[in-house]
Amino acid sequence: MDLTLTVILVIAFALLFDFTNGFHDTANAMATSVATGALKPRVAVVLAAVLNLIGAFLSTEVAKTISSGIINTDSDGRELITPALIFAGLIGATLWNFVTWYLGLPSSSSHALFGGLIGAALLGSGIGAVNFGSVVTNIVLPALLAPLVAGVAALIGTVIVYRTTRQATVPHAKGAFRIAQTVSASLVALAHGTSDAQKTMGVITLTLVAANLQQPDTGPQFWVILGCGLAIALGTAIGGWRIMRTVGTRITDVESPQGFAAEASSAATILAASHLGFPLSTTQVVSGSVVGVGLGKRLAAVHWGVAGRIGLGWLLTLPAAAAVGALSAWIAVSSTIGLGIVAVGAIAVIGVIYWLSRRAPVTSGNVNEQQPQRGEKAEVGA
Amino acid sequence: MIQWGSFFVVAAVAVVATVVLTVFYAGGVRLLSDGHAAGSTARVGAAYACFALCAAAVLFGLWLVVPQFH
Repeated sequence: MDLTLTVILVIAFALLFDFTNGFHDTANAMATSVATGALKPRVAVVLAAVLNLIGAFLSTEVAKTISSGIINTDSDGRELITPALIFAGLIGATLWNFVTWYLGLPSSSSHALFGGLIGAALLGSGIGAVNFGSVVTNIVLPALLAPLVAGVAALIGTVIVYRTTRQATVPHAKGAFRIAQTVSASLVALAHGTSDAQKTMGVITLTLVAANLQQPDTGPQFWVILGCGLAIALGTAIGGWRIMRTVGTRITDVESPQGFAAEASSAATILAASHLGFPLSTTQVVSGSVVGVGLGKRLAAVHWGVAGRIGLGWLLTLPAAAAVGALSAWIAVSSTIGLGIVAVGAIAVIGVIYWLSRRAPVTSGNVNEQQPQRGEKAEVGA
Repeated sequence: MIQWGSFFVVAAVAVVATVVLTVFYAGGVRLLSDGHAAGSTARVGAAYACFALCAAAVLFGLWLVVPQFH
């Protein structure tokens, strides 16, 4: 099989995945700020994009989680994954990200990436290639614990905020909370940039090393850092309005004191998790915080149907991305033609999803709209 | 095996940090408005002390995020 073509396809789809990662995760930092009016939608996404780009350049260490741990190495210490399998894994992750974006579900891009790679590795190298114990400890359990911790912290924070400020009736309270919320949201966006762009850099670097185009044990090259940073920033700037609407208005109606409590809890949980040795998914932390602030405010309703759908999406993320990754691997590893079929097929699926999304577009103009009844006339002039 | 020790540390730190941030920020907002209403310089001063503590927490967060700082 043509290795150069494989490498080019891996790089192209890794950047595409990074782009989807960007618009998927804009909501993490900015959904509550947009919902409370702390930031105008366009300002919020551009701020998040800039912070993500800065974040991508800040962190110089490669995210080794991709190459070590979940995918086992053989007895000689060689990776049991080839560039063609990485390509198949990326297809699984990217397609799942498009599907969840279409459905407006916040889901972890990292879990999609792990799922895609696991599926491809299972098919390419057999059951021994995947460390299932590691999957449970690194992915399944944290997915249950992340929203719990952030949710409890956000619930307590919300009670404190409302009690202290007499249900936010003291003068200037709402404005003050909007400012604090913007600051904490920016911190979340910056932290996101230092971690998520790293994962794609790791994938591209792993591929270049596997293809003998780069020395092992060297860091990502400058163009890789730049490309990944720009891809994630561009995705963020486009704005994942569909997911932002879910997180900001559909789980619960977030007000500025709650927005502050949610972002404070998210920032605290993410920073504690990444610096005290128990990494948690940003997406799951933020979703948990939003549910927590809904529970913390008197008379506020948490829409458990929406929360349940999000939870179901998390459960499905890994197996779904793995299934697509495995299918892609099955077609792609056989020949160059198979590789081409997978690439063209993936682009066709993305095209269809995009076309479907245009039938009921969510934009910066209608991102804060409440759930409309089916068949209700669209807002005029939005 | 899952590292429950690390997890409980993370959970505790996250909850305590959130409580500290919300208590001091919301406390600052309350003290500021009460202080202005009552003409109490002490309360306004305490409010700014609360905000300063929150600002310090944000700077600490920034320090954690940027690896070049440590």
